[in-house]
Amino acid sequence: MKLNGKFVLRQVAGNWVVLPLSDATVNFNGMIKLNESGVMLWRLLEQGKDREALADMLTTVYDVSREIALEDVDEFLNKLGRAGCIDLQ
Amino acid sequence: MLCRIADLLIEVPEAGGMSPRCREYLTNQQGGADITIRADLYKSEKYGGAGENTVAYMESCIQFCRQLIHFDGLYLHSSAVELCGKAYLFSGPSGMGKSTHTRLWQQLFGDAAQVFNDDKPALRRLDGRWFAYGTPWCGKDGINQNKKVPLAGICFLRRGQENTIRRLDEMEATARILSQTMRRFRDVERLDLLLSHIDKLVKEIPVYELYNKPEPDAARLSYETMRQGAEEAGL
Repeated sequence: MKLNGKFVLRQVAGNWVVLPLSDATVNFNGMIKLNESGVMLWRLLEQGKDREALADMLTTVYDVSREIALEDVDEFLNKLGRAGCIDLQ
Repeated sequence: MLCRIADLLIEVPEAGGMSPRCREYLTNQQGGADITIRADLYKSEKYGGAGENTVAYMESCIQFCRQLIHFDGLYLHSSAVELCGKAYLFSGPSGMGKSTHTRLWQQLFGDAAQVFNDDKPALRRLDGRWFAYGTPWCGKDGINQNKKVPLAGICFLRRGQENTIRRLDEMEATARILSQTMRRFRDVERLDLLLSHIDKLVKEIPVYELYNKPEPDAARLSYETMRQGAEEAGL
């Protein structure tokens, strides 16, 4: 699971959003809004971190079990996959 | 041919019917062009056999809009109307009634209201003030006046069962503007430049959303609300 580099994370009017660059295949109109944990997960993906590492972060920062953290990570990755930020193998 | 568009010198290739479109913009001004549109870069294959005129219109527009970002500007897919020396822009996806709405303003106000561009007016921020400009890229109706008008407000249109209007917050306004301007760039720098323009735009110009039926009451509502909003913003 790697970001394909066709999207960038930016702060817009005080909100964090993911915006498509020109070679992105956009399945949605405009932008994906990310909350604080979404931003942290995105940053980790940018650094090439894997699913396990993302879940580690969630369990460290938030008071959640590993099971819940992995579910949240998968949900996040699915969302990015649907939007075209991740090339599904 | 050298044209003066949005207070910039633009070299536009005459081919593909651009000559009549640019008639109002021709200039004798001396000096190098700020933006040179190049016909050799037109990507005609994108248009699946459409005529030379369509290709020239679309591709020259893309080059202009892309470069405009480097001159504190952007275009907004909208119908632009001038009333009492102020510009009001009505934007939104095709089919939401942009042109219909500015026609209603013309019905309401007669010759006092002038639609000066019906597709892609340019916006520029000069000395801290926003201006809307007519451009040769004006849509199928060819409504096109070479004008520079202080911008007073932007309104995004939606079809509705009744006429209601509300002010958008900065985030909503940014998202709507991004969806109706050019934002698919290969280089991140240009995207960031565009975002910095939009950031100022949504702070300085009131942006609304109007659910509307195509009737004069909708125009009355947008006018009353936007005029008052402009006054409060000191525009």
